[in-house]
Amino acid sequence: MISVGRTSWSQFNWTLLALIFVLTVLGIINLYSASSLQGDQGMTTTFYYRKQILWSLLGFILLPAGLFFDYRHLKQWVWPLYGASIALLAYVLFFGTTVSGSTRWLDLGYVSFQPTELAKISLIILCATILARLPGPVGFKSLGKILLLAAIPVALILAQPDLGSGLTILMIAGGIILFKGINRRVLFTLLVTIPLLAPGAWFALEDYQKERIFTFLHPNQEPLGAGYHTIQSQIAIGSGQLWGKGFLQGTQSQMRFLPAKHTDFVFSVFGEEWGFAGCLFLVSLFCLFLYQMVLISGTAKDSFGALLVCGVFFYFFWQILINMGMVLGLLPIVGIPLPFFSYGGSSTLINFLLLALVFSVSIRRYIFTRESLDL
Amino acid sequence: MHEADPRGPSSKGYRLLQILVLGLFCLMTLRLWHFQIIKGQEYAHRSQQNLLRERNTYPLRGQIRDRHGRILAENLPAYSLALIREAGSNTKTTLSRVSNCTKASLQEVKNRYNKRKDHVEPFEPLILKSHLDFSELACIESRLASNPALRIIPRAKRHYPSGPIFSHIIGYVSQASQKDIKERSYLQPDDLVGKRGLEYSLDRRLRGSKGRKRLEVDARGRVLRERIVKEPDPGERIRLSIDAELQHFIWQQMGDRTGVALVMHPDTGELLSLVSKPGYDNNSFVGGIQESKWQELLQNPRDPLRNRAVQSAYPPGSVFKLVIASTALNNEDFSKSKERNCPGFYQLGNQVFRCWKEGGHGEVALKKAIKESCDVYFYKLGEELGIDNIANYSREHGFHSRTKINLPDEKTGLIPSREWKKRRLGRSWQGGDTLNTSIGQGYTLVTPLQIARYVSALLNGGYLLKPTLLSDKEPRQQGRLPLEGGDLNFLLGAMQAAVEEPHGTAWRLRMPNATMGAKTGTAQVVRLTKEYKEMDLEEIPYKYRDHGWMASYGIQGDKKYVVVALIEHGGHGSRAAGPLLRAIYERLFTEGGSS
Repeated sequence: MISVGRTSWSQFNWTLLALIFVLTVLGIINLYSASSLQGDQGMTTTFYYRKQILWSLLGFILLPAGLFFDYRHLKQWVWPLYGASIALLAYVLFFGTTVSGSTRWLDLGYVSFQPTELAKISLIILCATILARLPGPVGFKSLGKILLLAAIPVALILAQPDLGSGLTILMIAGGIILFKGINRRVLFTLLVTIPLLAPGAWFALEDYQKERIFTFLHPNQEPLGAGYHTIQSQIAIGSGQLWGKGFLQGTQSQMRFLPAKHTDFVFSVFGEEWGFAGCLFLVSLFCLFLYQMVLISGTAKDSFGALLVCGVFFYFFWQILINMGMVLGLLPIVGIPLPFFSYGGSSTLINFLLLALVFSVSIRRYIFTRESLDL
Repeated sequence: MHEADPRGPSSKGYRLLQILVLGLFCLMTLRLWHFQIIKGQEYAHRSQQNLLRERNTYPLRGQIRDRHGRILAENLPAYSLALIREAGSNTKTTLSRVSNCTKASLQEVKNRYNKRKDHVEPFEPLILKSHLDFSELACIESRLASNPALRIIPRAKRHYPSGPIFSHIIGYVSQASQKDIKERSYLQPDDLVGKRGLEYSLDRRLRGSKGRKRLEVDARGRVLRERIVKEPDPGERIRLSIDAELQHFIWQQMGDRTGVALVMHPDTGELLSLVSKPGYDNNSFVGGIQESKWQELLQNPRDPLRNRAVQSAYPPGSVFKLVIASTALNNEDFSKSKERNCPGFYQLGNQVFRCWKEGGHGEVALKKAIKESCDVYFYKLGEELGIDNIANYSREHGFHSRTKINLPDEKTGLIPSREWKKRRLGRSWQGGDTLNTSIGQGYTLVTPLQIARYVSALLNGGYLLKPTLLSDKEPRQQGRLPLEGGDLNFLLGAMQAAVEEPHGTAWRLRMPNATMGAKTGTAQVVRLTKEYKEMDLEEIPYKYRDHGWMASYGIQGDKKYVVVALIEHGGHGSRAAGPLLRAIYERLFTEGGSS
């Protein structure tokens, strides 16, 4: 195979950069509204949006670093990263700070660090590494290997407890595997086995998690209790109608009817203020954003790069799908953030880090695709 | 490259990712369409519902004033304590804090809460206590920040400056009971409503109507903005025909005695004064009366809650002789000048009916019989007329029917008849019953107001006018006495004789420059035995003493008044009521009267 392996700056994906920029700005503007509360004395704004600006700026600084970094080096870092993430996950269970019943954070003074995020990155790299070496579609052996390796960090994450992240990691891994291709027999076996495991999983769930699923199915039975979030979120979005109520005019968010609006429910704030028109625009932006990653993955120089970007794709894809789905009542409330919009320092940084990797892959691809070389 | 190489636009992996992105787009767009476009309006409405609350606004209850504008019922500022359940986290804790600050026990507060909670809509205030006193108010006010469910609501408190003196006319206002709400459709559970007196009968006019305001609240129930949707209609101000100073005066003059005094304008039916003693302090009902005070009132043997002007019916005694006389005058065969002999007694069968004057009056004709109140003359007259005549004609004088004055629980009184006795007591009418009826004893019962209406009719040309407590009203005719002008004047003249001629039973009442007329009456409570009859009034046990009546009129120039008084257990009418009436007339005629 002819390999023209040089860094090509002319191939830089400006579209992706532009999309990241627009999404970040929109996210911050929305967060400004989500941070504001209407009181009888007027409006007060909390600090969230300001911190988000800071993190985003840091992120933009990180991006170019990724361009200079050759992603292939990551292959050497797979196992150290994997080990470190497991170590930190174990550490956080004993020494982390507990917030609302779950121990996810390590307090480092000014900032807090979530080992779960590191685990997500390390697992993406791990899957990409393993699957890149595979000549063909994933078979039982490889599947087993990946599951086993993933099981450890996932178990540690589930112990925090953080069901959402644990499942997300598995789903990202699953996505990468599907992208690579699955042996038909394996697929069939999975399709049969998983539904059988589902009842078992139900019993493994904590009560509050079961409650969440129940509320998801019947939100109106607990309008002031568990169903409150879902109902209020739907009211917020729905009441935006076509053009929205206008910036800072969202009554559901401003008047405190919408809880957790700077994290889980940021999209509801957006929906209430910008309406269907705004939401359609935003969904399009997100889909375009995701599509860039599809393109980059398709034109990557090597399997590893493609799989890596695929991993990042799924990382964002699941978050967007689950968060919007949750806000729109398609899924139970699981506390997954919306990229660029939900407030979160470490998640913002991780996002930019992963995107830096994507850029790294994107500018190191072939100038010529396989077809064009006609080989 | 291997076929399994996922890269490249035609590979399966790539396709998968494309499909996923497309799927995401479609799914989200459809879902958003569902919420924002299809159900958008519904959700917009619900977000409004989150936001907006409607509350009542309350008008001030109309003032009640006397004919000269003096205030008899007014509104003073007061504060109520309310709870909004949804605004707080723990109702139980809040209720116990309420109990700490107010003087109520926790159980009482809980009871109040439980009684109300099903009648109050979500986010509406539930009144826990009205009329907080200052210490309660301070205690709650300082704790409002830590008890977000509590609210202090300013309300007006009804106040009656003269309390007991006007209590029977005005009544009071207090919390509407279940029964009240059932009877009056415009009432809502937390409303105050008039009870007794004019507060009750004119409640609709006095209360005005509630307004509505819209509040914009946040999820904590904090009010951000207010907008008036409908202004409340203020209650109507009511002006009475009553003269407050006159009422005060009469109240004072009656002293300790139990009874009624009425002053009426004969040409209009307006009451210048309606005094019923004892009264009660209607102010103590306003915040909710204490149980002990209530029991006191109920068990008081003098029955202070009874408005004796309309709620009590008494035997009219000799006052009724006027009515018997009317009946006779109507009869063609009757002659005013025919004399009948009174030897001091009258025999019917084996019963002896006595005249009040032991030796008798001798030969008397009608005028003298009225003037000196001769029982025997009327026994004979009554017998001649017969009970049927008497019963029929009495009713035409306004007896045995309500005057329909604006006060609740008015009694009709009773004019007995043959068929009444048969029906009610299962016995037939006796001759003695007729004799008793002729002198206003026996089964006959009248209210003081009926007497006043009757005497006014004598004065105004024979029209029975509806008695009224309100001023500026057209007099309403309820009937006509079956007498002609000449007969009316005759009766008035006989009453005048009773005052102005010696031996008249109302001799005490005479006044130098006014024309006065009166008929006294002494209503027997029980038949006194001989030995009691010889005692002085004070020696007879109170409850056996006769009631004393005086029905009178006075004319001085343009001024015309009818004054009727009944003193319970006061003994002879003249002695009991005479001085009182005299004082009243003196005031009426000298103090410029009451225009």
